[in-house]
Amino acid sequence: MKRVDLILSERELDAVIKAIEAAGAPGYSVMRHVTGKGPHGAVSEAMDFSGLGANAHVIVFCEPPLLPRLREGIQPLLDYYGGVAYVSEADPL
Amino acid sequence: MDTSLVLQNLLTPPVLFFFLGVLAVLVGSDLEIPAPLPKLFSLYLLLAIGFKGGLELQHSGVGGPVLPTIAAAVAMSLLVPLYSFAVLRLKLDGFNAAAIAATYGSISAVTFITAESFLETQKLHFDGFMVAALALMESPAIVVGLLLVKLAAPKPAQQRPDPQSMRWGAVLHEALLNSSVFLLVGSLVIGFLVAGSSPHSVEKMLPFTDKLFYGVLSFFLLDMGIVAAQRLTDLRRAGTFLIAFSVLMPLFNALVGALIARALGLDPGNALLFVVLCASASYIAVPAAMRMTVPEANPSFYISTALGLTFPFNIIVGIPLYMALVNKLLPAAA
Repeated sequence: MKRVDLILSERELDAVIKAIEAAGAPGYSVMRHVTGKGPHGAVSEAMDFSGLGANAHVIVFCEPPLLPRLREGIQPLLDYYGGVAYVSEADPL
Repeated sequence: MDTSLVLQNLLTPPVLFFFLGVLAVLVGSDLEIPAPLPKLFSLYLLLAIGFKGGLELQHSGVGGPVLPTIAAAVAMSLLVPLYSFAVLRLKLDGFNAAAIAATYGSISAVTFITAESFLETQKLHFDGFMVAALALMESPAIVVGLLLVKLAAPKPAQQRPDPQSMRWGAVLHEALLNSSVFLLVGSLVIGFLVAGSSPHSVEKMLPFTDKLFYGVLSFFLLDMGIVAAQRLTDLRRAGTFLIAFSVLMPLFNALVGALIARALGLDPGNALLFVVLCASASYIAVPAAMRMTVPEANPSFYISTALGLTFPFNIIVGIPLYMALVNKLLPAAA
């Protein structure tokens, strides 16, 4: 089992979720209002009123064969808008 | 300029609460408005101003200066990004220049609302159709911004990796149906319909749209003070050119706006609102749209200039200054 962690702007969350669903992932979890620091400085909720919110953290657990399809859908979005994604091993409890 | 105008503007609760927000950041207070509240306040302000504008539009009708004023407003929102872009290209790349130009072509609803409050303190009349101008000035600049990127940005713009977001359908959807334009226009239409067909229901809405309005505006400006002060660091990073642009471009736009208002024969209240629309810059609708269409542009440039400098400048000094300009240029005002 693999775990994919994505950190991206909430603004692009819908597009990334679409790509995850299109890849056939069995499910995902989303944490909104993620703050921190990015290449353009602090990431905060200060501009939430304008629709430019903070970041989101998306976690996907999937089998290894799904990874290429996930990469194909998500990588162009991250390249264009920014954001990071990392894959790690996940062992069931 | 009459300094009493500046003082009268400064000593109003919304402007003083704005200063309080700025002060909170400067002295390191832990004052913080929870994130959902400013969003709620901004939606409330758009709903209330749209609804009230619709009521007044029903009473005033669409004759006289209404259509020419709206047409002039839309023309300005197309024109301002073009000459702003030409100026910005002196120092910036095509992406950043286009995003900032679009920001200055669009408008700030909160500056408009603050100007309305100023007119009320001056007991000057203004009409509901100016809200229609406000609503219609928001979107064209976004479209012009994207055109500028397509036409004038460096070559890699032609090979951008996600053509999906550059499709006209997606851009027009964002420009015309973003939440602030949608709510403002929708509330305007509802106000217009209700004023004609169901006056008793207007009475029921008034405690919400009228009585709470000033307090909510003050609370929202408290948050804007905090956000604007937090942007001051970014502004320093933006450099002298952008800092000068954030003050001089609104002044130039105000002058052009005042001359157009004079040509249209607007009365002083409507003229001030027209000038404020021309001189303000968007920090709600356009930044969100630019993030989608021009992610290559640095958001700290177009947000910090519009919110960190132009917005405070307009609500503190700009509005009384523009009033003085209107009084000087409009024969009726004197």
